[in-house]
Amino acid sequence: MFEPPVQRLIDELARLPGIGRKSAQRLAFHLLHVEEADAVRLGDAIVAMRREVRLCIRCFNVTADEQCSICRDTRRDPSVVCVVERAQDIPVLERTQEFAGRYHVLGGAISPIEGIGPDQLRMQELVRRMDDEGIEEVIAATNPTVEGDTTALYLARLLKPLGVRVTRLASGLPVGGDLDYADEITLGRALAGRKEL
Amino acid sequence: MRVVWLELRDFRSYDAVSLEPGPGVNVFIGDNGAGKTNLLEAIGYLSALRSFRGAPDAALIRDGASGAVIRGGIERASGEVRVEIEIPAEGRRRILVNGKRPRRHGDVAAGIPMVAFLPDDLDLVKRGPAQRRDYLDDLGARLSPSVGANLVEFEKALRQRNTLLRREGPAADLLALEAWDERVATAGARVVEDRLDLIEQLRPVLGAAHSRAGGGSGIEVRYASAWAGAGVVAGGANRRLPALTDSLREALSARRVRDLEQRTTTAGPHRDEPIVELDGRSSRSQASQGEQRTIALSLRLAAYDLLAAHHDTAPVLLLDDVLSELDPTRAAAVLELLPRGQVFVTTARDDDVAAVGWRWTRSGHDASWQSDDAGGTG
Repeated sequence: MFEPPVQRLIDELARLPGIGRKSAQRLAFHLLHVEEADAVRLGDAIVAMRREVRLCIRCFNVTADEQCSICRDTRRDPSVVCVVERAQDIPVLERTQEFAGRYHVLGGAISPIEGIGPDQLRMQELVRRMDDEGIEEVIAATNPTVEGDTTALYLARLLKPLGVRVTRLASGLPVGGDLDYADEITLGRALAGRKEL
Repeated sequence: MRVVWLELRDFRSYDAVSLEPGPGVNVFIGDNGAGKTNLLEAIGYLSALRSFRGAPDAALIRDGASGAVIRGGIERASGEVRVEIEIPAEGRRRILVNGKRPRRHGDVAAGIPMVAFLPDDLDLVKRGPAQRRDYLDDLGARLSPSVGANLVEFEKALRQRNTLLRREGPAADLLALEAWDERVATAGARVVEDRLDLIEQLRPVLGAAHSRAGGGSGIEVRYASAWAGAGVVAGGANRRLPALTDSLREALSARRVRDLEQRTTTAGPHRDEPIVELDGRSSRSQASQGEQRTIALSLRLAAYDLLAAHHDTAPVLLLDDVLSELDPTRAAAVLELLPRGQVFVTTARDDDVAAVGWRWTRSGHDASWQSDDAGGTG
């Protein structure tokens, strides 16, 4: 046990994902030894983020306004929506500069073990958007995990009856890499999903 | 392929032990409770990343210790692999291969071939289908990392579907259940495809092993599945996968009412039965104890042969107190393997292991394992 103010910070830090007791201690003592202004800036940043940021009313991306910058952008194609599990997946897809539609953040993937069913995700919000926005294609960009795949399959069953095209991101080889560096599983799936040239 | 060094801390009965086994046959001699099997279990853990006795990780920690550590160096054609495993009493275990976390645990089993012959191997033949499914799945995963990955994926999907059925029962969201059906069907079909591929590879090897162990020529392996008809199972390797996926999807949907009522998945690869037949009879129910023993031994010998051929090197062989139980013919089939690679043998008596090798006994003030044959002429 450390002095209560130090211990309190260690306990809080240790609750963060990916941070164990040891890392929490190291971070706390680091913050104890840096310039006070640096530590205060970190605290302010956390408080400001929580006070100023909220979820986009349309797609549930994080935003400082009512709608996120992507939903507000009139040049984006409103007929295609890319469905992701978490808001942090959006910048990753944006960096590709290959996608000009909008997004929808589900808030996770279907996982009965974790008690997450369709009702715990933003599925109904997505269904409502189909009509409201005249969406023609939904791209399921959930993670290539058992749960992400199943969520994509669920989306297909949910939305196809509404006349919406549902597609899934392909899995395959990393571009620009050597074939012999690819792991067998990825390579195996890439082989199974091969395309006619 | 051989284990060059081994270090244990707070593992089972050991507080600390380190060992540099010989390249050939290593015989561990001692009374019951001397910790012979614990050593073999630790060596097996280096590759399979679990106990060959099926013990939970918590049982591997010495009483009162905060965690167990297994470390070993394994020499392969491509250089030494260092495997380090920490099993804490609380929290997750940590596995490092050459100082890095392996991307998938299955890669370790597939990269370090080992075969264990155990006193209760008879269960492979005598007991229910689960033992034979595990035999196929374990061997398959040792031959190809994708087999291991397919299994992990299927088990995950099945566990999710079963949890949905158990928690919600007839109230389960039907669209979600259909989505799980589809995911279980694709993953499950891959698992069965892998098992059927393996059975085809196994057939000739098992036949030869059975003759060596003193059995006749009429040994055959069949795969019985309540949902995949004989036509699907017999289909050619490339056409089989789509047919298996369709069959499993249909079976899951046909059994929906039953699954919802019983709150579990009542058909699938997890209920299939690999059958070993002897002259057309089921070896489980219609073979003598002697025939069953020969078949069980042949299954292990065949696993050894397949791994040896696949890796182009002799797998590490673990023989836990099995030689004394075998009659001369069956023992000879095992002893044939001894000169081929590194072997770890446990025995209670000094005189029943014919092989010459490194003989290890516990001696000295700290009762550590000492070898009296540093020459290792085996």
